[in-house]
Amino acid sequence: MSHLVTEHLSYVYGEGTPFKVTALDNVNINIEKSELVAIIGHTGSGKSTLVQHMNGLLKPTGGKIFLDGEDIHLSKAKTYETRFKVGLCFQYPEYQLFESTVYKDIAFGPTNMGLSKGEIDERVRNAAKYVGISDEMLQKSPFDLSGGEKRRVAIAGVISMGPEILILDEPTSGLDPRGREQILSLIKNYRDETGKTVIIVSHSMDDVARLADKVIVMNDAKVESCGTVDEVYENSSRLTEIGLSVPQVTEIFVRLKKLGYPVNENVYTAQQGYSELMRLFKGRGIL
Amino acid sequence: MADTIIEFQNVTFRYEGDEGIVLSPAVKDFSLKIGGGEFVAVLGHNGSGKSTLAKLANGLLLPESGDVLVDGMNTKNEDDDIKIKQTVGVVFQNPDNQIVATIVEEDVAFGPENLGIEQSEIRRRVDGALKIVGMYNYRRHEPHKLSGGQKQRVAIAGIIAMEPRCIILDEPTAMLDPVGRKDVMNAIKRLNREMGITVVYITHYMEEACEAQRIIVMDDAKLLMDGTPEEIFSDPEKIREIGLDVPQTCRLAEMLKNSGIKITGNVLGIDELVENIDSLLRGQQNVTSCN
Amino acid sequence: MIKDITIGQYFPFDSFVHRLDPRTKLLFTVVYIVAAFVSNNFVSLLFCFIIACVVVAISKIPLKTVIKGLRPILLIVIITSLLQIAYIKTGVPLISFWKINITSGGLLSALFMALRISLLIIMSTMLTYTTSPTSLTNGLERIFAPFKKIGIDFHTITMIMTIALRFIPTLIEETDKIMSAQKSRGANFENGNIVKRAKALVPIFIPLLFNSIRRAYELANAMTCRCYNGGKGKTTMNPLKMSGRDYFAVILTLAVIGGIIVLNIFCGEYNAEFTFNAAV
Repeated sequence: MSHLVTEHLSYVYGEGTPFKVTALDNVNINIEKSELVAIIGHTGSGKSTLVQHMNGLLKPTGGKIFLDGEDIHLSKAKTYETRFKVGLCFQYPEYQLFESTVYKDIAFGPTNMGLSKGEIDERVRNAAKYVGISDEMLQKSPFDLSGGEKRRVAIAGVISMGPEILILDEPTSGLDPRGREQILSLIKNYRDETGKTVIIVSHSMDDVARLADKVIVMNDAKVESCGTVDEVYENSSRLTEIGLSVPQVTEIFVRLKKLGYPVNENVYTAQQGYSELMRLFKGRGIL
Repeated sequence: MADTIIEFQNVTFRYEGDEGIVLSPAVKDFSLKIGGGEFVAVLGHNGSGKSTLAKLANGLLLPESGDVLVDGMNTKNEDDDIKIKQTVGVVFQNPDNQIVATIVEEDVAFGPENLGIEQSEIRRRVDGALKIVGMYNYRRHEPHKLSGGQKQRVAIAGIIAMEPRCIILDEPTAMLDPVGRKDVMNAIKRLNREMGITVVYITHYMEEACEAQRIIVMDDAKLLMDGTPEEIFSDPEKIREIGLDVPQTCRLAEMLKNSGIKITGNVLGIDELVENIDSLLRGQQNVTSCN
Repeated sequence: MIKDITIGQYFPFDSFVHRLDPRTKLLFTVVYIVAAFVSNNFVSLLFCFIIACVVVAISKIPLKTVIKGLRPILLIVIITSLLQIAYIKTGVPLISFWKINITSGGLLSALFMALRISLLIIMSTMLTYTTSPTSLTNGLERIFAPFKKIGIDFHTITMIMTIALRFIPTLIEETDKIMSAQKSRGANFENGNIVKRAKALVPIFIPLLFNSIRRAYELANAMTCRCYNGGKGKTTMNPLKMSGRDYFAVILTLAVIGGIIVLNIFCGEYNAEFTFNAAV
C-alpha cells in the first residue's frame, strides 16, 4: 500500500533572481508502508531538500505530496500534523540538543504534540530503549555525553513523536566504524520491531546496501534511478560517475568488466564478490 | 627517512575534569618516532586518544609527563613555540572553524603574515599553496560559499603556506562527501610525494589509511600496533576487536587465499587486486604488485 | 527566510571604485554623509544626488541591487516623511480635512528628508558593496594605528571584526538549520503571545550558543596553529597603497566639500514657500 507519494514535485528557490536554483525537478516517488528506503545522491543533488518536503517543512513550488492518500498541504493544520506523522532527523542532530536533561530533550516533540504527562513518559522511555539510552543517562545533561550518545539521543527525540515514517538525514556522518554500525543496526531493529516506514538519506552506498529494500538515486534535482539494491547496482559505474561512493568490491567488478570479463556489476559485499569470482575462476578452469 | 621530525618520549597526558574530578589519561606512556618524509596514518576509534596526539605534537597541549620533541625542540620550551608551530602544522576536522578571513587567498596568507614574512614572498607562497591543493582558481572566492572539500583544501593550503616540514590532519575528511574526500586525499598525497612533506593522517576510514606507508593503531590511550598497512590488516580479528574494520579488498583477498587461489603480494588496494585477478585469468605466473 | 539577510554584502566586481584604497573610500563616505547632512537646500541635495548617481554608475553595481538595499529602511523613510508632513506647517495649505492639514512646506520637507536619508543609506551601502570586509577592516586598522600609542590596540578590534564578518553567514545558515530541526519536532515560532514566542526561541538560542562556543574554541586552536600571536610583527600580503586614482578621488572628495559649502551659501537655507512658489 502506498504510504508516501510525491507527484511532479518541484522546488525552485530564488525565482526571478540571478541566483535561481532548481533543487527538485519533477520528482515522482512512491514509498510503501513498512519499507526501508535509502535516498542516495551527492551533495547538492536535492536529497535533503526532498526529505524536508516530506514532513511539510518546505512547501513545493510545483506538484504535490500525499501521505496516506491525503495532500499534506490541504490545510495549515494538516501540514502541522504531518510534522509528527513524518519524523525528520537532520544531519548532525546532536548540535540541536538544548534541554537540561536527556529526558527533557527527548520529551520536546511529544510535549509539543500536547500529550499527557503519562503518555510523554511512556514515549520517552520507549524511544530511549530503541536507541540504547539507559535510565541513568536520561537524567544527565545531553552536553556531557559522547558524540555517538548525543546522536542517539537526538534520534530518540524524533522517534518519541511516534511517527509513522522516520526519516534520517545522513545518520552516520562523522562517526567511527563502531558508531556507524551501532546506528545502522538500531535503525534496522526499529523498523523490524515496529513495522514503521524508514527512510535513510546517505551519500554512501556502503551504508545502505545491506539495509535498504529500495534505493532512490538522486542526481541534479532529479530521480536518476529507483529500485532494489540489486537493480540500482546493475549500473554501478554510473553511480561513481555521479559522485557517489560505492563499496570497494563493487569498484573491483566495475574494473573487471571494463577489462572485458563477463562479471556482474551488482556486487557489493566481500562475500558476494567472492562467490562471483569463484564462479569466474571455475568457469575458466582455474582451481 | 633519515632524520626524526616528531618524537614522543613516554608521553602521558590527561584533560582536566570538572570540579577536580581526575580523568583517566587520554594518552598514556606513549612513545613514537616519525621520520622526515613519512606518510603515517593513525587509526583508532573515537576517544582512543588520537586527536590528543595531534595537539601534543605541535605544542597545543603539553604533556603531563614525558617529552615531545619537534625537530629536536622540546614543546615545553616556550621560546621555540612559534618555530614548533611553523614546523608542524595541524588541520582539524571541521573546515568551517579554521578559516579566518573572508577571501580565500587572504585566509591562506594568515599564517605567513603572522610569521612576519615579506610581502612578495607571501604572495609566492599563497599562490603555490593554492595551486598544490587545486584551489588557485578560487583564490578570490568567499570561503562560506565553497563546498566542504574545497574549504578543507583551503585550510590545508593555509598550513602549507607556512612551509612546515610536517602536516598533521585530524580526521580531515570525516565531514565530507565522497567527492570532497577524494579531492582532499589527492591533495595530501601530492604534498607528501611532490613536496616531501611529512604527513600524519588521523582517520577512521580504513581505505584512506591504506594510502599510507605506515599505520599506527591507538587503543585506550596507548599504542597498540605500528607497521605497514599490509602488516596491520593481516590480523582482521584484532582490528575488529577494537571497533575498527578491515578494508573490503583485504577481506576478499583473504577469502580467495583461503580457497587456494594464488594471490601474490599483500593486497590492499583495488588496483592490486584487479591486477592479480586479471593476470590469474590470463594464466600468468608471476605478478608484481605495484607499490 | 533568515538566509535572505545580507549584512555588509560585498560584490566582487572590478571597477574604479572597487580598486580604490579602502581608506579613500572611508574618507569619501564620511565626507559624503556630512555633506548630505549639512545640505540645507534642494540644489545642494541635488548635487549630492548627482554624485551618488556617478558613483553608482562607475561602480558597476546593478541599480536594482542598490535600490534593493534601501528596502530595510523604507519604514523609517515613510515614518520620517509622515512626521514632517504632520508637524511642518509652513507654506501654502494644500489639503485640509478633519484634524489633518497638509501644507506645501510639510510636503517639501518630507521629500527633502526622504531623499536625504536615502542618499545616506545608498552611499553607506556602496561602501560595503565595493569593499571586501577584509580590506575595509585593514583600512580601519591603518587609520586607527596611531591610537596604539595611547594604549588602544586597534588590531584586536579589527581581528574581531574580521572574524565576525567571516562567521555571520555561517551562523545564519546554522540558525536556519536549527530552526528547521526544531520545527520538525513541532516547535512553533509563529503563533502565541510575546512570552510564548520568546520561550519558543530557547530551543534555537541554546544550541546556537553552545555551537558558537565550540566554534570559538576550535578557531582559537586553528589560529594558534597558524602562529597567531596577537598581531605582533605581522606583515601583510596586500599592503594598502595610495595610488594615482586615490589622489584623484581625494581631490574629488575635497571638491564635494567645496561644492556643498558654495551651494549652501549661494542658494541659502531652503525656504519652503519660496521653493514652492518658484516651482509653481
